[in-house]
Amino acid sequence: MALSKSKRKSKKFVPPGLMLTSMMDMFTIILIFLLFSFSENPEKIDLDKNLDLPTSSSKAEYSEGVQLLLSKKELRLNDELIATVRGNEITGLADESLETSALFQRLKTHKAEEVKPEGEAPKASHVLFLCDRSHSFKTINRVIKTAGLAGYPNFQFAVLEGE
Amino acid sequence: MARLGRIRKQTEENTELNMVPIMNMFMVLIPFLLMSAAFYNIKAVNTSIPVHSNAPATNTPVDKEIKITVVLELKTDEVRISALSDQVEPKELIAMETTLSRPSGGDISVVALGDFLKKIKTRYPSSDTLLLIPDENVRYYEIIQAMDGVRNYESGTLFPNVVLSGSLG
Repeated sequence: MALSKSKRKSKKFVPPGLMLTSMMDMFTIILIFLLFSFSENPEKIDLDKNLDLPTSSSKAEYSEGVQLLLSKKELRLNDELIATVRGNEITGLADESLETSALFQRLKTHKAEEVKPEGEAPKASHVLFLCDRSHSFKTINRVIKTAGLAGYPNFQFAVLEGE
Repeated sequence: MARLGRIRKQTEENTELNMVPIMNMFMVLIPFLLMSAAFYNIKAVNTSIPVHSNAPATNTPVDKEIKITVVLELKTDEVRISALSDQVEPKELIAMETTLSRPSGGDISVVALGDFLKKIKTRYPSSDTLLLIPDENVRYYEIIQAMDGVRNYESGTLFPNVVLSGSLG
């Protein structure tokens, strides 16, 4: 026991040398990947996991507008939940009741709240429409018709940049 | 000889790089780049829907160039193309009608569509509006695909103003 103690005492403390080479390699790869995906203007829109946007060859940039999101499960207006979606049906949005729907009421309120700058021609407001790629035109048509009736006939369909 | 060996030994000892400052720099750069990284790019397709207007029709000066509006009916198994204009003889408008078949649920033949629309565009170059009427069962991605096909073809612009409308029937 005493021998082992003296042996331990005689050993000098050597700080453990870290092997940083492999970590440096990893960081270099991450850095290069991030440099390639660097954007001066990162996207402000967060994509929902239930929203799969279609791809398009369009190069046009989107602009600020009333944001209408139609995912697989819900319909949202500027992040506010308006209705739920089941298959091709949007609750409370039938062809015969578009002008009494919650979406119409909220869009009408939004339109009335839009402030027109004095002495300038009013800005042509539009709807930035984010829609899941799998929806049928029957479903989409109800939403865009309601927006048109509420005073928003111009749309920007949000798409992912692709071929 | 012994001196040379000592010098070599000294040089070998000094070659170890201090990686810690580089690591620190990486630790600052990575969060910054992560915040400004764009893993997807969102673009926009501009469109509009027909609007009912109560305003009286104004007499706009007649353009020297003839303008037509192309109507594209997008069905699940075919694409029907026709044209509308009050400046063109009905006979000529009928000649512009065609039907392109597409496999059910398959992609639209962008080449066939583009070729046909290019002929119309070459004949009436000032025309820029297309009325897209999809069938109820047509999916959203197919509408976007059709919109891409009618706006540009072979690096030329065809009909950039796409108006989306429901079927009247």
